[in-house]
Amino acid sequence: MAYVATRGGERAIEQSQRLFREEMGTITAARVAEIRRAMPYLIDRVMGEASLYDEDLAALALAQTGGELYEAVLLLRSWRTTQPRLAVAEPVTQDGLFTHRRISAAFKDIPGGQVLGPTLDYAHRILATEVLSDQDYRPEPVEPAARPSPAQQPSVAAWQAENDLLTAAEPDKTAGNDIPDITREPLLFPSKRAHTLQSLARAETGGVLALGYAAQRGYGQAHPTVNELRLAEGEVMVKHPRGTTFSAGRVKISQAEVVNKKGTQLELGFAATLGWNEVKVIAAATLDLNSEGAPKGSATEEEFFLYHTEGVESSGFCIHFKLPHYVTFQSSLDAMRDAKKKKAAKIPEPAE
Amino acid sequence: MSLKSLTKDWEPMSYGFLDASAKREIRRKTLKAIAVPGCQMPYASREVPMARGWGTGGLQISCTLINLQTTVKVIDQGADDSVNAASIRRFLSRVSGAPTTMDTLKADLIQSRHRIPEEKLREDQVLVLQVPNPEPLRPVQPNMSIARQMHADADYGRMWLQLYEQIVRSGRVMQGASYPSLVHGRFVMTPSPIPRWDVSKMHMAKHLTILSAGREKRLHAVPPYTRVEPLVFDDVPYQVEEHQDLTCARSGAKGFFMNEIPQDDGSSTYEVSDSEFGVKTIRKGDGEPVEIGATWYHAGEMTQ
Repeated sequence: MAYVATRGGERAIEQSQRLFREEMGTITAARVAEIRRAMPYLIDRVMGEASLYDEDLAALALAQTGGELYEAVLLLRSWRTTQPRLAVAEPVTQDGLFTHRRISAAFKDIPGGQVLGPTLDYAHRILATEVLSDQDYRPEPVEPAARPSPAQQPSVAAWQAENDLLTAAEPDKTAGNDIPDITREPLLFPSKRAHTLQSLARAETGGVLALGYAAQRGYGQAHPTVNELRLAEGEVMVKHPRGTTFSAGRVKISQAEVVNKKGTQLELGFAATLGWNEVKVIAAATLDLNSEGAPKGSATEEEFFLYHTEGVESSGFCIHFKLPHYVTFQSSLDAMRDAKKKKAAKIPEPAE
Repeated sequence: MSLKSLTKDWEPMSYGFLDASAKREIRRKTLKAIAVPGCQMPYASREVPMARGWGTGGLQISCTLINLQTTVKVIDQGADDSVNAASIRRFLSRVSGAPTTMDTLKADLIQSRHRIPEEKLREDQVLVLQVPNPEPLRPVQPNMSIARQMHADADYGRMWLQLYEQIVRSGRVMQGASYPSLVHGRFVMTPSPIPRWDVSKMHMAKHLTILSAGREKRLHAVPPYTRVEPLVFDDVPYQVEEHQDLTCARSGAKGFFMNEIPQDDGSSTYEVSDSEFGVKTIRKGDGEPVEIGATWYHAGEMTQ
């Protein structure tokens, strides 16, 4: 009797992939374009977690995986590995962002105004079931405001710093390839500020929310007030080899500042990510706010939340338990059986 | 001469998948790991087209070492025909054009999950072990930065205490696979979850072993001719799995690490875990001219 031929394994792999892909049918450029057009927030979430800003590739990844988000992000991340680094863009600053939405919970009104922008926050969440009986749902047209809000606005934290309510962070002068890069260096603790913010930026939304929510519910010491939540677009300014600086396009960015009273000062938590994803940046900023001095092993400790919100790593590890583990299992069985045997062999001493 | 004649055609990915900067980092970290046996070296660990936890650490080492002359063998749980081993082997040959083999003797590079082959490895062979958790201190200290400090201080007291507690509670050390071992008398490492049966194969072995954890972004190495000593108390000897008297129901091989196969009647049969070793034993029994290399174990006893 021979062992199972290797071809068996390879054929099984091939057929199982076919089964998965058959369900989705032919992937066309039109389908990819439709996903991109119809699901901008899903595209944003995937691009943020993949740390790769390309709406077409994100839509393709979603089409190819049938919307299996972890798989889609992994596809994009591993594609990213193969791409050369052509240039490092200039840093974008809060007050330079082309802002679509900017709200503050800390003040009734803020310099630049509360700009509601696109949101479902105050919508009644009712399904448009008429669509299913062939009645199209047509959104009401937007009526432009008489006075457009300014495209660029300062951050709320800047105003607070001016008024001695918080100590603004020192601007980091590191530039270009010297900026620590989490995709090219290991994450070590205590982590570099750039690594922390980059890890949060590409963290898995659900993971960040779970731990951020734990902190908000009371497992963190700091209670966040949303100082500012901003959905914006940032200009990607790069230098041409000829020396001229030009915009390579705009990317959607979301960012959150949350503050908490600490003695006579406010302490600030910050997070930003590619794409518009409000839940993620508020939760991430809450974790950032709580991380200083957090006890080792608590959900708000940097090492704890950065490791456990890394979606590609956590989802990969979770599904790896499907792989055969019969060698390690056999090894454990051996120790268990031997211990049992030893226990049985111990004859109780007779009472005197 | 034109610029075109000096450049290569555009390709969607680099040779061996990883780009030059990723490979350079891994080579540097591997050299460092060889220089400090058993010490975990952090590395960036790029994403590869497989899920984390599925051999991405081993894969990055293999992708870095591979060239057209490298004959590759990939095993999972000792088996070449395991689906994930087949998938990794296919990927490696696809991105490098390297030939593959199932024969341990013919392989230059062996990527393995959870096993070291039963035939002895030579000085010209490299074993790459996939590691899920590179940190032997994890059960006593889940925090990576504290554990790193403990390694720096060679602070292994809690490790010893854990083994002692197991003996007191259960009458023996209950560690199954990944038995903590002291490398070159300095660093305690987890030898990836290979069974206790395989740990002694690393001790003063002729081959280089590279252990790489992609998800945890750490790699460590056991250079050739390096001491690898399982942590044991003087009066409680190291105990490998009691497989020395088991016989493979398929090949008749005896005294090697076995897979236990539960039977309908409540009993168990066994088959040798190193699948290609089993295949070769069967073929030799059928009178085919098959070369079987020297094994680490003889009649169920470790020889070295």
